[in-house]
Amino acid sequence: MNEPTNPPGHIETPEDIDQHIEPHMVVETIPTKRRQIDLVKKFKEEKLFAFGVIIVFLSIFLAFFGPMISPYDPNFATGNVSVGPPNILDWPGLFIDTVFLGADPPHWFGTDNSGLDIFSRTISAPRTDLQIALIAALLSMAIGTTLGLLAGFFRHFLTEILMRISDLLQAFPVFITAMILVALSGRSTTNIVIALTIVYLPIFIRLTRAEVLGQMPRGYVEAARAVGNSEFKVAFKHVLPNSLVPSLIQLSTTVGFAILLTSGLSFVGAGVRPPTAEWGLMIALGAPQIILGEWWQSIFPGVAISLTIFGYAAVGHGLEEDYR
Amino acid sequence: MVAETNESMVAGSSSENILEVRDLSVRFPIVEGPDVFAVRDFNLAVKPGEFVGLMGEPGCGKSTAAMSFLGLVRPPGVIETGQINFAGDDILKMDEETVRQMRGRDIGMIVQNPRYSLHPMMRVGDQIANVYRAHNDVGKREAWEHAVSMLRMVGINDPERRVKAYAHELSSGMAQRVLIAIALSSQPKLLIADEPTSGLDVTIQAQFLDQMWDSCRQASSAVVLVTQDLGIVANYCDRVVIMHEGTIVEDADVYTFFESPQHEYSRRILQLQREAQEAGDAVLGKIDRTAPPILEVKDMSKLFPIRGSESKVHAVEHADFELRPGECLGLVGESGSGKTTIGRCVLRLVEPTQGEIVFQERNIAEIRPNEFRKFRGDLQIVFQDPLDSLNPRWTVHQVLSEPLKLHTNLSPEEKEQRISELLNLVGLEPSMRFALPREMSAGRQQRASIARAIASNPDFIVLDEPTSALTPETTAEIIQLLMDLSAKLGIAYLFISHDLTTVKYICHRVVVLYLGQIVEVGTKDQVFNQPRHPYSRALLSSHLFPDTANRRVDREVRETLEGEIPSPITENLPKGCYLYGRCPSQVDKCRDLPQELTKLDDGRSVRCWRVAEGDLPDEPAAH
Repeated sequence: MNEPTNPPGHIETPEDIDQHIEPHMVVETIPTKRRQIDLVKKFKEEKLFAFGVIIVFLSIFLAFFGPMISPYDPNFATGNVSVGPPNILDWPGLFIDTVFLGADPPHWFGTDNSGLDIFSRTISAPRTDLQIALIAALLSMAIGTTLGLLAGFFRHFLTEILMRISDLLQAFPVFITAMILVALSGRSTTNIVIALTIVYLPIFIRLTRAEVLGQMPRGYVEAARAVGNSEFKVAFKHVLPNSLVPSLIQLSTTVGFAILLTSGLSFVGAGVRPPTAEWGLMIALGAPQIILGEWWQSIFPGVAISLTIFGYAAVGHGLEEDYR
Repeated sequence: MVAETNESMVAGSSSENILEVRDLSVRFPIVEGPDVFAVRDFNLAVKPGEFVGLMGEPGCGKSTAAMSFLGLVRPPGVIETGQINFAGDDILKMDEETVRQMRGRDIGMIVQNPRYSLHPMMRVGDQIANVYRAHNDVGKREAWEHAVSMLRMVGINDPERRVKAYAHELSSGMAQRVLIAIALSSQPKLLIADEPTSGLDVTIQAQFLDQMWDSCRQASSAVVLVTQDLGIVANYCDRVVIMHEGTIVEDADVYTFFESPQHEYSRRILQLQREAQEAGDAVLGKIDRTAPPILEVKDMSKLFPIRGSESKVHAVEHADFELRPGECLGLVGESGSGKTTIGRCVLRLVEPTQGEIVFQERNIAEIRPNEFRKFRGDLQIVFQDPLDSLNPRWTVHQVLSEPLKLHTNLSPEEKEQRISELLNLVGLEPSMRFALPREMSAGRQQRASIARAIASNPDFIVLDEPTSALTPETTAEIIQLLMDLSAKLGIAYLFISHDLTTVKYICHRVVVLYLGQIVEVGTKDQVFNQPRHPYSRALLSSHLFPDTANRRVDREVRETLEGEIPSPITENLPKGCYLYGRCPSQVDKCRDLPQELTKLDDGRSVRCWRVAEGDLPDEPAAH
């Protein structure tokens, strides 16, 4: 046997490789650097994204510690009925009095019709809202991506039926569907979570299915089969991890909208029961008072909802741009 | 030395050159880091009627240089310095309107990807006529007639009908010819063709290049042909210009270039090809023909149903061939000939419609899919596009672990050892162990893909165009690697390729496919030196070997096929011989007589009754 002129182990020594990488080749060759989002850099450079991240962390912080750091018990009347918030110019003085002189904390945002402290309720509400929204969104994503993977990977009449059901679900407005589901199953936190999970399923099913269909003709899928994987393994080990990105981006936006939906359900009376500290419920209780000039009862929880949804959407939007 | 030749050429013949480029530099500003010069100190002179091949590895600036001859640069690039003298005038000094007038009229351009270059909502006749009218003072009717004559000139059948066609109604070969008709419609003095035939089949490529060569010689237009293909350069160009890192490193007559390349890069690509050939010859001929075949395919067919239609796509029809241990069998044919489907069927990545696949004396076509998974360790595949065939989220280590986990019982330590061994076998550096596919060069990606295929110690590997996505340089390296592996590990290959040059290096025997049928099977020498079937002969004659000894443009008879492969749908298929209508040796009898694969005395098989009955004279072929 002739000795091969170039034993395969030595065709490319590191020196050879260095020779190949010329500075001017940058223009037309594919960048070989690992494309990884530098979150710290992104946070510094993109104001909107940074704002969203702050909101998201704040909401999570309040979900854990909100009821603990609130000056008053959010569910117990602690003041006079319908007291307006103190003048904004007095806030610094009141703050100093409270922290350093041990005075009773003021009702920063005023009190509601039952004498509950609105500030305490506003910062305690994320525990309810975020808990429901986060669990529902995560459940929805977990189930939705799995179903979407199956629907895209195995073209079967069962998966076709699944897609038609998801069409049907999407045909109704999200709010109406959720309301009907809660009305049918009863007003409890568990049922609200289930209802929210169901209404957000079609989004994740569709997103994942579309991505899976795009991945299916890729060579690595066939290669995974050729190596000897079962169809199930090809789907879950190879295709799924490569189809998750759109759903992960969608997750953030969905959490935001799920918070809105939770509040919305409470507002119409299909959500959590009073007097639980919950933004939608607070708005609902305060709404009739606006006409009496008691604007503070609804405004503060309303602003809280808007900021939260905006924050989550901003994070989702920021991540989406990087993956496009 | 190279610079000297350039200068002398520029200085000595300044008046008679159609194009003279002096000290051209094109700068690309980079946001982070220093600016990049895609082209620098570029000097080139082209005489009227001259065919110049502009070659170089990807990213060497050849396309950027060619674009700048028209005064165009892709943003954000800028032409920093230099002169581009066209017929004595500097394009860079003219105002934009004058240059615009010249483009299309005096300087034509043909780009890659014919379909995307044509207007999708405009009839091709209008597109040709528009260009013609933009530069000539003629009426609509006259321009339309000119378009018809242009289409006839570039060899399109039935130009009166085709002139009314839209881009999507044309095949890619025809679209490419429409582009050349547009480019030539006002008889430019200079034609710039940027890889005009990449992605075309060899017979179509030959038709197209012949057409371009004839038309340009007739009008004595000069052509600058940007390409990576040594075969095109060897067969059509008068001069070769090699670019490297943005500058010209070699500028030579085509014969001189192939005999004694000067620059290191030129020597490397030519030498790698030679080495691959020599190594191939060394490995070849060691096959024990008496050994029982490792793989026998008997009467295998694959028909794909078409949705909402009775007819079917006949991808493969009655394929019969066998493979001995350690043998490399080449499967050649144009796109649509069914070669890829055969490879997939043999591995049951696609289920064959009928037929037997006997692998190691067992009919694997009968095994249930779930049980067949266990056999996959013995039959492997290497795919065409290495980046696409590797999971984008998996490191090389993960990729190689998978087959080991599925097909071996190695302990974790043994697995790590085996992975190191595999990396060494395919020539990947240990540092690549945890690299992701996109972090590696295409050559390394393909090495990783090969390592995955050999991880489970297979006896047989399907190589599905393993080199067609690679540069000529990397191709030669991968071919050499494959041959080394075959010699070391005794693996049999089914080598699927449309690139006859690589098949010639690596294969013992060759199967020629046309429209899903095997038309000729023989040893490499038989098929390459003396093809018998009319299709094999045309295919080999159309293929452009990188060899200046028998240039296609110098041949008296350029064997080629008329038209294009019909799509293999039931009602489209000819009743008799599938080649009827395109075959240069056809007689009336061929139309209705279905052809059988007949074994000839010299051991080869041919599907042509005229050859089988000795009716067709056996002339020596071109290669």
